[in-house]
Amino acid sequence: METLLPLAILLVVTLLLCAAILIVTQVLGPKNPVPSRLESYECGIKPESGSHVPFKSSFYLIAVLFLLFDVEAAFFLPWALVYRDSLAEGPALLWALLVYLGLMAVGLFYILQKKILKLN
Amino acid sequence: MTALDFVIAALKAIVILVAVIQVVPVMIYVERKVAALIQDRPGPNRVGPFGLLQPVADALKFLLKEDPIPLYTHRLLYTLAPFLSLIPACLVIAALPIADKAILFGKEITVQIADLDVSLIYVLAIGSLGVYGILFGGWASNNKFSLIGALRSASQMVSYELPLGLAAVGAVMIFGTFSLREMVVQQDGTLLGVLPNWGIFYQPIGFLIFLIASFAETNRLPFDLPESEAELVAGFHTEYGSMKFATFFMAEYMNLATMSGLMTVIYFGGWHLPWVTDAQLLEWVGSQNVLCLIQVFTYIFKVSVFMFLYVLIRWTLPRFRFDQLLALSWGSLIPIGLLNIVVSAVLMYFLGGK
Amino acid sequence: MKEAVFTFFSLFTLLTAAGVILSRNVIYSAFNLVLCFFGLATLYLLWGATFISMIQILIYAGAIVVLFVFVVMLLNFEKPTEQKTRLPIIILASAGVWTLALILLRVLSKSLGEIPVLETTTRASVRTVSKLLFSQYLWPFEVLTVFLLALIVGIFVLARPEGEEAK
Repeated sequence: METLLPLAILLVVTLLLCAAILIVTQVLGPKNPVPSRLESYECGIKPESGSHVPFKSSFYLIAVLFLLFDVEAAFFLPWALVYRDSLAEGPALLWALLVYLGLMAVGLFYILQKKILKLN
Repeated sequence: MTALDFVIAALKAIVILVAVIQVVPVMIYVERKVAALIQDRPGPNRVGPFGLLQPVADALKFLLKEDPIPLYTHRLLYTLAPFLSLIPACLVIAALPIADKAILFGKEITVQIADLDVSLIYVLAIGSLGVYGILFGGWASNNKFSLIGALRSASQMVSYELPLGLAAVGAVMIFGTFSLREMVVQQDGTLLGVLPNWGIFYQPIGFLIFLIASFAETNRLPFDLPESEAELVAGFHTEYGSMKFATFFMAEYMNLATMSGLMTVIYFGGWHLPWVTDAQLLEWVGSQNVLCLIQVFTYIFKVSVFMFLYVLIRWTLPRFRFDQLLALSWGSLIPIGLLNIVVSAVLMYFLGGK
Repeated sequence: MKEAVFTFFSLFTLLTAAGVILSRNVIYSAFNLVLCFFGLATLYLLWGATFISMIQILIYAGAIVVLFVFVVMLLNFEKPTEQKTRLPIIILASAGVWTLALILLRVLSKSLGEIPVLETTTRASVRTVSKLLFSQYLWPFEVLTVFLLALIVGIFVLARPEGEEAK
């Protein structure tokens, strides 16, 4: 709790800063809305359709793969933490790593080989 | 907890936050001057001596501009998005140990906002939240360029978060801790008598991965695809103007400072001067507070070197294509990161301990 | 003080969780979900479970919701489609909710007395978790990895990129 107090204060100060930025621009900036200024930007022509159109699914694959590998990478962290101290007790953790990493490498190799991430 | 504790905590948070925000004007000036130098033109030189007041003029201009909310946008998310970038950028600095400790009001004060025992993961975790500002901003703008920019940017940021994490794992293995402060403390002294006892000499590959990934995480050239002004107008902030636009940039520069700080702390000994241990230095200067001041300046110097590197590289290298970018992360950095972990683990096993 | 902060973040978490369900627009649901996970992480932090707290942000808020937002942005169902709620769905959903509620009740009633509420844990806590994970729970952990590998293959089979139809 002692260490969390400055963190909480930082959060509050940050939120105040954000509020200040919002309010100051509202107060200082001129307000003079011209219809053409409020249109969404398009290269020289009138916007054709809404921007929210279905999109390439490759982006979805990136997100899913990121999620899976992020979970796998997150397991490395606790492992790395205790690895140095565990060396005194033999290579048990080294073997655990090699098995784990072997499986992860198979997955990575699979997606690379299938060229899932080949865009365009 | 006394009132004094509270005041100290508040001061720490506010002073360090304000200090880090000062990175923004300094970087605006440096970036423009270096750009001018490289492109053989004078750069800002009208406002104040050597154009030094240019950032002030820029800031005032941002504040004094109209702040329109375009029609067809999703107003709430559109307004919130810049702050969704800024808030994580402000929060991550809490974990960076700037210097050891000072003694004020008869109390030992660590020059770090929060000394969490998981500060390394804290930086990675909170840093990963920065992607929402871009994602929501691009979506809420209701503009095709913004949406494409946001999607590209988010894919880039998530793809490079993995190598960043894997590089960090290497460092955690060496130091056996998640605490950035303990990492710095362990980097005191010399290695084999000649080299500074810094992380880079234990994890050179890890450092390179970290450096490259940090460029992508902060959306800097050669990884500035989210903006890529030649292709996507301005990427996810096409529809943003005035201070909202500036807020995105504040966040970007603060992230730059954080990444530089993180590299300093993990790989370059943090607040330590090379070849001198803290104990020796304390003997020479005789006062903990003076020592603390030296440490702060050492830290700032090291961070500045990295920031300058970012600026130099921005004006040196061309931009990647999007598929090259993904191939670099998934095809090279992540496998190398994994290999780095295995090699380090095996080496540590045979060399015993370190 | 501690209790006040804890109550604040508990309420924050609950409110944003309600926001996830009640938002008309899916993007706002995702936005609320981020806030909800953030609130949860602060609760863990207040309990002293720093590692879990950070993983909560790193994985849930930083990766899973990114996936949600990607899906929403790619599919772009901006207007909520009017759907008639059919009776079987209602029955199935309520059965699920009630099962979950009963399990929760059972777990809570068994362990409520043992939860160390607001107890500051020592610095060793992360280390303890890690040691347990790689000794006592090593096998479940490795099995989990195989499971993740299966997921990677499964995803590719399900979401094959265009032009790579089954040959």
